[in-house]
Amino acid sequence: MIWLSLGLVALALLGAPLFTVIAASALLGFAASGIDLSVVMVEFHRLGEMPVLVAIPLFTFAGYLLGETGAPQRIVRITQALLGWLPGGLAIVTIASCALFTAFTGASGVTIVALGALLYPALQLAGYGERFNLGLVTSSGSLGVLFAPSLPLILYGVVAQQLQLGRPVSIEDLFVAGFLPGLLMLVMLGGWSSWRNRALRTSMAAFSWREAAAAVRESAWEIPLPFVVLGGIYGGYFAVSEAAAVTVAYVLVVEVLILREVPIAKLPDIMRRSMVLVGAVLAILGMALASTNYLVDAEVPAKLFTAVREHISSPQTFLLALNLFLLVLGMLLDIFSATVIMVPLLLPIAIGYGIDPLHLGIVFLANMQIGYFTPPVGMNLFIASYRFDKPVLELCYATLPFFFILLAAVLIITYWPALSLALVR
Amino acid sequence: MAPPDDSGSAPDGVRVGGVLRAVAFAENAVLVLLLGTLVAVAGGQIVLRQLNVAVVWADPLTRLLILWIAVFGAVAASRDAQHITIDALSRFLPPRAQRVAAAVVALFTSAVCVVLAYEAARFVGVEYAMNTAGLGAVPAWVLALVLPIGFALIALRYTIVALARIRGLAPAGAGR
Repeated sequence: MIWLSLGLVALALLGAPLFTVIAASALLGFAASGIDLSVVMVEFHRLGEMPVLVAIPLFTFAGYLLGETGAPQRIVRITQALLGWLPGGLAIVTIASCALFTAFTGASGVTIVALGALLYPALQLAGYGERFNLGLVTSSGSLGVLFAPSLPLILYGVVAQQLQLGRPVSIEDLFVAGFLPGLLMLVMLGGWSSWRNRALRTSMAAFSWREAAAAVRESAWEIPLPFVVLGGIYGGYFAVSEAAAVTVAYVLVVEVLILREVPIAKLPDIMRRSMVLVGAVLAILGMALASTNYLVDAEVPAKLFTAVREHISSPQTFLLALNLFLLVLGMLLDIFSATVIMVPLLLPIAIGYGIDPLHLGIVFLANMQIGYFTPPVGMNLFIASYRFDKPVLELCYATLPFFFILLAAVLIITYWPALSLALVR
Repeated sequence: MAPPDDSGSAPDGVRVGGVLRAVAFAENAVLVLLLGTLVAVAGGQIVLRQLNVAVVWADPLTRLLILWIAVFGAVAASRDAQHITIDALSRFLPPRAQRVAAAVVALFTSAVCVVLAYEAARFVGVEYAMNTAGLGAVPAWVLALVLPIGFALIALRYTIVALARIRGLAPAGAGR
């Protein structure tokens, strides 16, 4: 069994699709316990019994569609008009617009491609140092993971609900819990960027009512969207799946029918490309339902908790160990796979230490978010390297200061649970 | 996202390539149709709710569409080599070892998917024997057929990749 497990790990490290690695481990586990293997398919079939999952294809499609329109330009223009007068204004514009766009596209790595191409040259033109620009754009691409309606938050909620924890972990509560920690990350990153570039108040920096009005007019169709969706979710008017349906309908009507920025003939291709990502995420989720079923059945989380308990007695030490572990994990696994594979193991242990499941979710995702650009294998490093035609090593070096700032934010989020929980109750 | 890689049609003759392209076209069409239906049903439901009209079959249909999108999306991801992977090791290997590793990985993937397709077929058989109710007049086993078909298609894609990789290995050291 040990050798088989090591073999699976080796195959995963060599690039086998993770859903097959998870499926193989579930199959082996069930076979070893003498359980009928078709239970794997029974579990996978449960993807069709979770109404909340409807949010995943709908938000992803809406995000891909928005990426094909002039919306990214308009987001940048309007944030520039409103925030550009601050010291280091364009850096703050970058952070704010990336966070907004990432939240809407479900943190799927599209942000760097869609916004980076606009912001990187603009930053360079405004006189920001090249290394700072690269680091800023690469690390900003992962902001927004903690804001509604990010897919990782939805996925965490779905996985947590499978574990029968005795207390509900609602996705709406997770969205509320992520708000202040997400804001903390934006403020810390924005504050540092602003201070670093305090000399760079650009010539166009004075706030102009005329430009602000023009930018608002240009984005008139898109401005209601975040208010409808975020207001609807945070205000409790819609369930997440309804908000997703409203978003898609709104984006389709505005961008395709009213503004006509995407020809209808291009829609099938955008639909297909967005569903490739959805298929990849749901395939690992479906297989993880099976492997989680096996783990719970074999009482693995309980055994793990006993083993961990022997070495770690206080919740604080556990959280520190968790931070370190997730930092390493974040270098290897993307945020989606990490959530479906690790949360079923970690959450029961964390609850054993008295940690709130909502708080753990925020800590987990904040930690994994840095993993997007943790050297040497963070995914955003490679996307940015490809997009800006720079060696990965240079990007590692450029993102280092941003890495330490967000790491500090993660530590604050970890040891200050009230930040996540204050708004929930 | 990387452009779709056409590995499916590369290794074999024009005929096989043509068949695979037709299959790919059908897969794409189904995927687009599924998402289009989902958007229409989910959006329509919200409008109807405002009018206080409840449609009984809308929720079960939505959930079914998710399962189908998951399977056909996974099939499309296999074709584009867009499945989520770790792939931390292979880029440090020498070129020849990389090709061997790629062949082994593709073989493993198709083997797992063959097992999954077989278990899915058995699952469909159980649903058929128990005559589980599905959606309206359609029994559950028909709706679950997507599972064996989907995993068989994924297995097919990876078998083709594996064969191409193995064939590429045959002339030892002769480049690609």
